Amino acid sequence: MDNEAPHINVTQLSVAYGDQWVLKDVSMTVPGGQVLAVIGPSGCGKSTLLRVFNRLVDRVAGVHIKGQVRVGDFEVIGDHVDLVELRQKVGMVFQHPNPFPFSVFDNVAYGPRLQGIKNSTRLRILVENSLKQASLWDEVRGKLRRPASSLSGGQQQRLCIARALAVSPQVLLMDEPTSALDPLSTAKIEELVLTLKGQYTVILVTHNLQQAARVSDFTAFFREGHLVELGPTKEVFTTPRQLATEEFLTGRYE
Amino acid sequence: MKGSTWHGVAVVGSLLTAVLFGILLGDLVWQGLPQMSLGFLWRTPSELTSFGGIGPELLNTLVMVGAASAITIPLGLAAAILRVEYGARPGFLLVFDRMRYTLLSLPTIVVGLMVYEWFIVGLRWPLSVGAGVIALAVVNWPFVVDVSVAALKGVPDSFREASLALGGTKYLTLLRVVLPSALSALVSGLGMAIARLMGESAVLIFTAGINVSRHWGWSAPGETLAVHLWYLRTESVAPHADAQAAATGVVLLLLVGLVLYLTQKLAHWLKPMDA
Ligand SMILES: Nc1ncnc2c1ncn2[C@@H]1O[C@H](COP(=O)(O)OP(=O)(O)O)[C@@H](O)[C@H]1O
Ligand SMILES: [Mg+2]
Repeated sequence: MDNEAPHINVTQLSVAYGDQWVLKDVSMTVPGGQVLAVIGPSGCGKSTLLRVFNRLVDRVAGVHIKGQVRVGDFEVIGDHVDLVELRQKVGMVFQHPNPFPFSVFDNVAYGPRLQGIKNSTRLRILVENSLKQASLWDEVRGKLRRPASSLSGGQQQRLCIARALAVSPQVLLMDEPTSALDPLSTAKIEELVLTLKGQYTVILVTHNLQQAARVSDFTAFFREGHLVELGPTKEVFTTPRQLATEEFLTGRYE
Repeated sequence: MKGSTWHGVAVVGSLLTAVLFGILLGDLVWQGLPQMSLGFLWRTPSELTSFGGIGPELLNTLVMVGAASAITIPLGLAAAILRVEYGARPGFLLVFDRMRYTLLSLPTIVVGLMVYEWFIVGLRWPLSVGAGVIALAVVNWPFVVDVSVAALKGVPDSFREASLALGGTKYLTLLRVVLPSALSALVSGLGMAIARLMGESAVLIFTAGINVSRHWGWSAPGETLAVHLWYLRTESVAPHADAQAAATGVVLLLLVGLVLYLTQKLAHWLKPMDA
């Protein structure tokens, strides 16, 4: 059952940079195989939350984490967590497409090669499958040796998704993946997210409320480091339980 | 409007520099012409005849600059990697950068005096190729660190994040993403550091001496091209010393030009795929 997309359980999570607490006592559950949209004003801690899930937040000197996060039955928080294993389980796509300055092929093959896979047939199959999953294969099939930088912005972002998928993660973290893209590329990535549903647990940070409404099963609204509300996306958007959520959704404050 | 004005100024400036450099080189070639022959490159210098050469100086320049670079490039790169990739403690960074800037701004003649005090006076080393290599290494060290730090800092942090997020360890990230992305800038910067070292004379006069011995050795005095040039212009009584100096200058300039040309070519070839 290793391939089953896992639940994510967060219990009383608090995170501080130095003495500034940016996530405060957050508890929530993300059901396996679903898409959770995370919304909220900028600076409310959305990126921090994602970076706790793959412990990329460790790169910041002076960061403190309290509480518990579990991906399936994998403990994420603690001093002796195997970060390599965690990050193979929990992949990430960033706000700005950040392909390596390598060829399209070498970008997607990067993760598998890190794991020691050298067999060229195996690599080729992995790369092809990942590009297909990221709906990019048809556009790059003859151009695998070209620089990744020769692709358009939207293609580069899908390449980054393919690169993450090539490691066979169970969870995919996406931090405003379309904020740097045009509407057409955005639509393609939204379609892609819908196809990933079920196989992966997806956490999608977005400041585009329509995007959250279109692709997510659940929506979490954060404000000033607090989780204000989490529920099925339909309910959150039509009948929010908290006044703050309603105000945010109706654009009464940013 | 403003942009194109500045562009014009820049074009005129670089043309002027090129013209001045051309005149200088032409003048040197013209003056040195009577001395120029293939044999000049390998004969030993002569105070008595106009039939001397710069063989030992050429050898010493290549050996000393090569040895100093072979010492400082790996050490300097390692220090830069420690600083940029592993330097998490602010205290360490502060001390490191202080030292780097101090060494960078130290006049090389002061470095020469220091090496003289420690190795020649203190340890009783002879004025020698070996002492010269040490001196050149001390001069070169902060430049290598500086160039390497700049090359590593030029690698976008988003590359590191992408690699770490894919399950890359810090070490593999360095090896497979950071160094390959920095290699081009590294080669081009190191080329400039090496070229600069070839023209260094102040630091060598007290340490490697201003003559050459009949038998080459690490503990024998070893004048370089740049020092020989200084000597010919100031001290020498050899006939046609000026012409010899001009010819030596041409050889030194060509050598520096060759190093710069080759390293820039290599750097261009090594450029990562995004540029
Ligand atoms: N590396 C960091 N060091 C210190 N403070 C940070 C760092 N990253 C983010 N912050 C602060 O943490 C808060 C939350 O930031 P972030 O998680 O990026 O929010 P969001 O993604 O919702 O905009 C902000 O106040 C931000 O200034
Ligand atoms: Mg953010």
